[in-house]
Amino acid sequence: MINNFCVFILTHGRPNNVVTYDSLKKFGYTGKVYIVIDNEDKTAKEYYKKFGKKVIMFDKLAISKELDEGDNFKDRRAIIYARNACFNIAKDLGIKYFIELDDDYTDFRYKADNNLNAIDRKPIKNLNNVFEILLNYYKSIPAISIAMAQGGDFFGGAAGNDTLICKRKCMNTFICSTARPFKFFGRINEDVNAYTNLGGRGFLFLTITNVAIQQKATQKNKGGMSGIYLDNGTYIKSFYTIIYSPSCTKIETMGSKHPRLHHSISWDNAVPKIISDNYKRK
Amino acid sequence: MKEYKLFEIESDTKLDSKYTSKIKAPIYTPNLNKPSVFKLYDNTKTKELIKNIKKSNINDDEKVFLIEAAKRHTVFNYSLIADYYVNSNKEMQDLMEQSALVIIDFDKAIEYGYVKLSEDIAEQYLKDTKDDK
Repeated sequence: MINNFCVFILTHGRPNNVVTYDSLKKFGYTGKVYIVIDNEDKTAKEYYKKFGKKVIMFDKLAISKELDEGDNFKDRRAIIYARNACFNIAKDLGIKYFIELDDDYTDFRYKADNNLNAIDRKPIKNLNNVFEILLNYYKSIPAISIAMAQGGDFFGGAAGNDTLICKRKCMNTFICSTARPFKFFGRINEDVNAYTNLGGRGFLFLTITNVAIQQKATQKNKGGMSGIYLDNGTYIKSFYTIIYSPSCTKIETMGSKHPRLHHSISWDNAVPKIISDNYKRK
Repeated sequence: MKEYKLFEIESDTKLDSKYTSKIKAPIYTPNLNKPSVFKLYDNTKTKELIKNIKKSNINDDEKVFLIEAAKRHTVFNYSLIADYYVNSNKEMQDLMEQSALVIIDFDKAIEYGYVKLSEDIAEQYLKDTKDDK
């Protein structure tokens, strides 16, 4: 078991479909897991029935008052509240390091073989060790959060590329520390809002593309944030990031078969460069 | 002067690796030619907004707020900013660090750490696949 570390699965409205919980076991994680739900979840009883003491409930309205949601809507069907709640939950549990996972991961996979050649998928069998490797890197660098890659990181095809790139973004699988707290903001697109806006102020976020998670298709998976996405599409979602970081983000059309509006980041204008300390004058 | 670090970190990573050429840590190699300071940012949109704010009939407090908000539209070129940093004197470098205009990879923790992480994951991959046909 990894010392001083736990997994939080952030979930809402689908107690019988917390896919990540089973996937963690299947892919070799045996450490502490907590199911994070909010007090507006009508299925809370079912979560307690199924997961017992692993369930931790937070006050959604209370935490909403501490946050900048970026709008004046009242719809709290969003993950931002749980994302922010995890820091205090970890503190209360006396755990310093944690990883925030969504509830819809079907697998955890390698994206590179032992020679670091890109591969499409190969299941991780000992997730304990992989989490520990990621955590050791996180502890050793001044990052505010690091994450595993996700499907979208490989658009254009990772297989065939012979270089693994460590990206300046962070989505889905946030490895965090109570000693490095930060706030997510903007009702939706809170992950992109954070890594662009905070990233622009020198807070370091990284995605490790050597390993990845696979998710169920968002808008086909009932519960969670599917409702808010179906109601608004990606049009409103993308604009939250523009509001927070207008100098380096814009809206573009993404995809050719089913085009949709999506944020686009001009990375050279978004985050300060990381340079060797050899260049620093003594 | 104090070195500005966001967090205390635990690092002892220093290594050469066969994997170095196969991975790309997000480290920027600066150009040793110093760019013009005026090329580091583009405030065209900001100036246009401020011009309209100043011409308006809103009260002074509102003007101050909107002028501050207009600065969000200034576009910074972080490659050129890093180039400028390496060609600046110590005082300017310190001030740029305080404003987080560059991130300094002290002791190559980020770069070498990523190499080490890649090695460790590659080793774990071998363990996880040794029984695969």
